[in-house]
Amino acid sequence: MNDVSVPDAAVLDPITIEVIGAALSSIVEETGEALIRASYSTNIKERRDCSTALFDTAGNTLCQAEHIPIHLGSFIGIVPHILKLHRVEDMRPGDVFVGNDAYEGGGTHLPDIVLAEPIFVEARIAAWTVNLAHHADFADRGHAHIYQEGLRIPPVRLYRGGELQKDVLDLILLNCQVPRERLSDLRAQMAANRVGVQRFQALCAKYGTTTVMAAGAALLDYAERKMRAGIAAIPDGIWTFADVFESTEVPEHLPLQVKVTVEGDSMSLHFDSPPQLRAGLNMTWTALAATAYYVVKSVVDPTILPNAGLARPLTVTAPAGTVLNCTHPAAVNGRVQTCQRVSDLIIGALAQAVPDRVTACSNSVCTVATFIGQKPEDGSIWVYLETMGGGAGARATKDGMDGVHVHVTNTSNLPVEALETEYPLTLLRYELVDGSGGVGTYRGGMGLRRVYRADADCRVRVDVSRLTSESWGLLGGGPGGHGAVECGPGVVFDRDNAVLKAGQWFAVVSPGAGGYGPPEKRVREAVARDLAEAVITETTAREVYRYRA
Amino acid sequence: MGRWRVGVDSGGTFTDVCLFDEEEGRMEVWKVSSTPDDPSRGIAQGVEEGMRRVAPGAVQPGATVTYFGHGTTVATNALIQHRGVRTGLVTTDGFRDLLEIGRQKRPDLYDMQADKPPTLVPRDLRIEVPERVRHDGKIDLPLDEKRMRAAAKALKAAGVEAVTVSFLYGFIRPEHEMRAVEILREEMPGVFISAGHEIAPEFREFERLSTVVLNAYLGPVMRNYIERLTPRLRELGMEATPHLTQSNGGVIGFGTAAKMPVRAVLSGPSTGVVGAQAIGTLAGFTDLITFDMGGTSTDVALLNDGTCKLASEATVHGYPIKAPMLDIHTVGAGGGSIAYIDAGGLLKVGPRSCGADPGPVCYGRGNKEPATTDANVVLQTLNPEYLLAGRMKVDQGLAKQAIGRLAQRLGLGLMETAQGIISVVTANMARAIRVISVQRGYDPRDYTMLAFGGAGPLHAARLALELDMKRVLIPRNPGILCAMGLLLTDLRADFAATKLLPATNASVDDVVSAFKGLTERAGEWFVHEKVAPADRRLSRTADMRYAGQNYELAVPLPEGPVTAVTIAALADGFAEAHRQRYGFVAEGEPVQIVTLRLEAAGRVRKAELQAFDDAGKDASRAVVGMRDVWFPEAGGFVPTPIYGRDELLAGNAFTGPAIVEQMDTTTVVLPGMHARVDAYLNLVLEVAP
Repeated sequence: MNDVSVPDAAVLDPITIEVIGAALSSIVEETGEALIRASYSTNIKERRDCSTALFDTAGNTLCQAEHIPIHLGSFIGIVPHILKLHRVEDMRPGDVFVGNDAYEGGGTHLPDIVLAEPIFVEARIAAWTVNLAHHADFADRGHAHIYQEGLRIPPVRLYRGGELQKDVLDLILLNCQVPRERLSDLRAQMAANRVGVQRFQALCAKYGTTTVMAAGAALLDYAERKMRAGIAAIPDGIWTFADVFESTEVPEHLPLQVKVTVEGDSMSLHFDSPPQLRAGLNMTWTALAATAYYVVKSVVDPTILPNAGLARPLTVTAPAGTVLNCTHPAAVNGRVQTCQRVSDLIIGALAQAVPDRVTACSNSVCTVATFIGQKPEDGSIWVYLETMGGGAGARATKDGMDGVHVHVTNTSNLPVEALETEYPLTLLRYELVDGSGGVGTYRGGMGLRRVYRADADCRVRVDVSRLTSESWGLLGGGPGGHGAVECGPGVVFDRDNAVLKAGQWFAVVSPGAGGYGPPEKRVREAVARDLAEAVITETTAREVYRYRA
Repeated sequence: MGRWRVGVDSGGTFTDVCLFDEEEGRMEVWKVSSTPDDPSRGIAQGVEEGMRRVAPGAVQPGATVTYFGHGTTVATNALIQHRGVRTGLVTTDGFRDLLEIGRQKRPDLYDMQADKPPTLVPRDLRIEVPERVRHDGKIDLPLDEKRMRAAAKALKAAGVEAVTVSFLYGFIRPEHEMRAVEILREEMPGVFISAGHEIAPEFREFERLSTVVLNAYLGPVMRNYIERLTPRLRELGMEATPHLTQSNGGVIGFGTAAKMPVRAVLSGPSTGVVGAQAIGTLAGFTDLITFDMGGTSTDVALLNDGTCKLASEATVHGYPIKAPMLDIHTVGAGGGSIAYIDAGGLLKVGPRSCGADPGPVCYGRGNKEPATTDANVVLQTLNPEYLLAGRMKVDQGLAKQAIGRLAQRLGLGLMETAQGIISVVTANMARAIRVISVQRGYDPRDYTMLAFGGAGPLHAARLALELDMKRVLIPRNPGILCAMGLLLTDLRADFAATKLLPATNASVDDVVSAFKGLTERAGEWFVHEKVAPADRRLSRTADMRYAGQNYELAVPLPEGPVTAVTIAALADGFAEAHRQRYGFVAEGEPVQIVTLRLEAAGRVRKAELQAFDDAGKDASRAVVGMRDVWFPEAGGFVPTPIYGRDELLAGNAFTGPAIVEQMDTTTVVLPGMHARVDAYLNLVLEVAP
């Protein structure tokens, strides 16, 4: 498949590269839009927990739509895994591979199902169109190891030459709790790939395949150059940072550490963590790498194209078999919690080198509530998953944002009016948590509280962190508020799980974020505003901010 | 004396006045500087001067005006500059922070320094009141009237000028909101009040809330504006009811506009689309892509069979708005966009703009960073000595120096770099057009490009080539298309009812009764707008989806009473729309009707553009000069004839390379392209032979 000759990237002028780059971005955005619009499950259609990308024939990301950074982790691995298991000469136009496995499929956790399709131009593969959708399924499972977490799918053909492989589909659907949604979402994923194939072929028809491929290669070089230029602007040195991770699933403090070495225009990041656990919070190396790429890009230059070139100046390592670089058969379902903490870990290290470019610690987790129940009319299962934003860290010149998704995720909430129409749940309150933003010259963002009432019996699992540890402030700023689960009468959580009876309520509180700079230096008008808005208490105003009305 | 129809487009820099004599069929245009501190002054001045010019003998210049249509940026500007009024908000208990939380996404995926747009109501002016309606219309908790009254008193004490009431499910069962509004009126008479069920009676609480809050926030601004403008027009002796364009492209009376300013935030660009639609239709082209390129931004829209689709929701300057809006896509790039080399060595253009002041490098006002305009001056597609028909001198030498600096760093020649800037701009514009065409399932090759705005005609030919579009239409007066559009548009209002129904025979009665309610509301509106029965037109659509999806597709209803046949036609129409948009039909999946919409249009007498007799092909007498223009397809500078737009007559034809100059724009005709002037003096470029 590499026999399409790729001209030297240098022969293409910077303008052609820019023009083709714009076209590639346009293609991945369009495929993403097709996926969201045609999907059925709330997690994709409203919360947009999905991503789309184009890859070159070697499996390098050419362009990723601006959806969810952690999905890059699955993207890094999928095409190489397909090429390991399948012969290129056997591939035909209309072949579509489906996969999700963290160890044999290039994925980062099982609910993220990837569809990958080779794009044929003039009877040869010129690129791959790939999309990922987080299927809210595989709920209420164990997390001692990956075999408990859902169906493991190595990359296999879901379509062969355009023909649906019903055997494969049936096998997958029988292992899902909400098969109708899965089928519909897989259809939407197919629609998205179809768009990707057509648009890429049209692009090749317009500019010539060799030019498009050369431009693709040049765009990788371009991202690399920008990344190197950004890293070079960071002072050389070795910066270390340590924090802990704990959650509703694993309440013990797990020590995490990073060593960031900046040397000229390259950077290496080495992570130490405890041996992998019989719990869902382990991360595969691809998830770790995707997290590191996200943070370094955000800190050095947010405008760098999200393609594989940006990874070239970075070396990401961690001992195999540890929480941050787990090996088979570690469970990984909750890896996004850990990824968030790793993001702030890197930021903590870089804060010592470039304090103006970073934020204080954000809420540092991806708070998740997953509900599962059975419909009384036909006994079918319903699953509802939602993730909550929290505080974003304060910045060198401004407050952190309140109640937003940070770092490697960025999904929407589900409208209350959609939530209550589709599931037997009532949302009683949805609010910012007073006092949860870390104090500082610039205040950390506030966490969120969501109060749910079950209208039918169901189970819930909650993943939240900073229960006992704190999101740190920077340069004198205070820590953000704790995460928590609050229970109404009769509700008892067994660590992360509870059974809810109809009429019972409970609440999830996401953590706040750290403040930046000493609080007594905060502009007085801003303190007065915080006080008027009940964002801080009078005591805090008086005693921490030294404020007198 | 004449009977005059007057259209006024009030922009940031100029106020354009278009005057049409109904009796003689003659059209005149007038331009005055805008008066941003109080736009009504410039408008009155423009109308007065314009009318004095066309009817010098009149005692009162406005007396012979029979129709006054107006497009304004008052609401948009107040929103961009956050100059709305101090606004209070009353919400369902537990949800006062919803306005601030929104959809909990951060504004930029990677830029940690990015911020959300400011929340328009501060937290201390957001008050929660116990009440709860359920999704099925049941009331869980009645409105706590005591707490509601206390909220009203508190907001009054806080000195708010406007109040929003938006409860959960208020669109399904509005009693609580209605009662809350009554209490607010009792406690704070004179304050501008907006309620969810009146402004945006649709599903999704945050987007609805955002819309209603914006309406309240902008309400008094728009009301004051209208209250200032109305007497000024009356002083001119004008008795005609003034009308304002909405974002949906239709016009409404000032009275309605003052109540629903949120529906007018895209008043300006939508007027351009309406003008384009009228001119395109007249010229015989109804499948159009409009390309309105100005100094700092560009608006594009797609018209199928002469109509632009309505979007029921869009994000405007960071705020979601649920209101019928023409599906216009805006990009922050125009003639003033600055070209630069980024850290990775690629040439980029925009989104930073040099603005009107200091303007491009060639204006010689101190800017050193080359803009798109400078590239055109170097390539000599734009006149290298002066612009605006001689009113603005330009310095090509400065533009060459600035682009030369970029060229050196890129390792390219001066001309290649100038042309490169045009290529990058063209790629950006092509991307914007793909959003409204290929992304919606339409092939741009099937459309004619209608280019207007100051920079549209300059870039249109290359853009059409990039998108494989066959034809470009340049209207006679590309700079005043918006003002002209005001004289070509009907009165229009949209009514909607959200009602979740299966698309089966079982829903016939519900659909019938929903449309009955909407038709009654439309009837009241017709009476209010004084539309004669013969001029009334209603059209119905249904927003539909597969049960389980959350985004709907709009499907038109066939004419006639709603029966089982109608529902079957809707289901077929939906399947076709789904195939068009997503490429597949989910056979056997249940289909739902979500929102029923009724569009009411009141026909007004429109300006009729004059057709000119064919003056023959020979265009040679319109050639006003020659200059060398850089055309990369011709390998460099080519001696190129310059045509004066004012000298071109109907029927004239010529072949590129050519440049057509007129006061408000310049048109580039690429080598080999055929150009002709149609009966309405539009310039038609045939891109492909």
